[in-house]
Amino acid sequence: MEFQSFDEAYLRRLRTRDPRTEQHFVSYFSALIQIKLRYKLSTREAIEDVRQETFARFFVALRDDKIQQPERLGSYVNSMCNNVLREQYRSGTRDIPLDDDDDKNDFPAAGPDMLDAISAQQTEKKVREVLEQLPERDRRLLREVFLEERDKDQVCRDFGVDREYLRVLLHRARQAFKSLYLKDCGNEPPEFASA
Amino acid sequence: MDHDAVVRQKMTERYLLNELDSDARDQFEEHFFDCLECAQDVRLGALFVEQTKVVLAEQAEPAMAAAAPKPAIPRYTGLAALFRPALAVPVFALLLAVLAYQNLVTYPQLQQAANHPQVLPWTAVNVGTYGANEATITTAPGKGFLLFVRIPPEGGFASYSADLVNPTGKVEWSLTIPAGTSQDQYPVAVPGANRAPGTYTLVVRGTTTTGLQKDIGRTSFDLKIQN
Repeated sequence: MEFQSFDEAYLRRLRTRDPRTEQHFVSYFSALIQIKLRYKLSTREAIEDVRQETFARFFVALRDDKIQQPERLGSYVNSMCNNVLREQYRSGTRDIPLDDDDDKNDFPAAGPDMLDAISAQQTEKKVREVLEQLPERDRRLLREVFLEERDKDQVCRDFGVDREYLRVLLHRARQAFKSLYLKDCGNEPPEFASA
Repeated sequence: MDHDAVVRQKMTERYLLNELDSDARDQFEEHFFDCLECAQDVRLGALFVEQTKVVLAEQAEPAMAAAAPKPAIPRYTGLAALFRPALAVPVFALLLAVLAYQNLVTYPQLQQAANHPQVLPWTAVNVGTYGANEATITTAPGKGFLLFVRIPPEGGFASYSADLVNPTGKVEWSLTIPAGTSQDQYPVAVPGANRAPGTYTLVVRGTTTTGLQKDIGRTSFDLKIQN
């Protein structure tokens, strides 16, 4: 769908349960929630539980007219996600029961499908293209940081670079990937597939 | 969190590299949940990092270690492709052979021909008002011959041009002949060539002192080739 910003019209469509707007909303924030949670939760199931509970609470709040500022939609979602996460930490379990209210669970799923698999292949090809443009030394640096997950300070010492070098390297590679990606896929980034 | 500060401080990279403390992480998350541009950067950045792991894992060390290092095979593109060894070596060998043949066989023969007097086959052909004639000339393959071209002098031309047209209708050569005041016959030495036998036509035009050209006439002769 054509999307420029979260505005009053967008919020109105969400309230009237417009399917495309709901699909976009869930897809957009699912990606951000999954990125946010992967640093805080260790399993896919735990992440999925928090994601679903976050959306369930959001749509209840929307139905109860508690969400009034469209430009703050992201903040609402983030805040609700934090609340769900805190509750999960306190309960010490990932099993967070969802309410029986049908309305709460009736939102689009964000699971992977065939299109996601094809998209992942295309994405991998672009990443490979970006990595092939890098000097061998920089590829080894990324490998040790991301794949082998070695201590970054130690890796930087071994390669004779500082942490800023690592940030700039990632920034440039990310920008190159972004450029390739947006050229082929338009302005909508794909769904993030959590590990 | 201010967007400019986020960009300036490379917060997206710090976030993806897991360099932020808890408070900074929370602040940045609050920002990118509201900021479309940063949300896109984070999403694509996270995607890049995830796929980078996949790609780099494929290039794992066992596969790399198993393969002995191979010498790099240079790629030739454009003009360089013409000079790649696979093509350049046989081509240069062929050129050397041609040069050797020319120096050892062709040039000595030509030199001998040029330095020694010889009797050439000949015939006389008439142009214009002198009327046509049935000329025949017999020569050996590759050998030259002489044409005595008779052109009436009364036109007052400064020069003549003669085109030799072969049996297929193609002009084989053109020649400019200076006009003599009292001359009406011009010996033309036709160089040796692998000519086909048949009827050849000589087309002659006169050129005035002002550069104007006028057809004078044409004549034919029959060329026979004999070993």
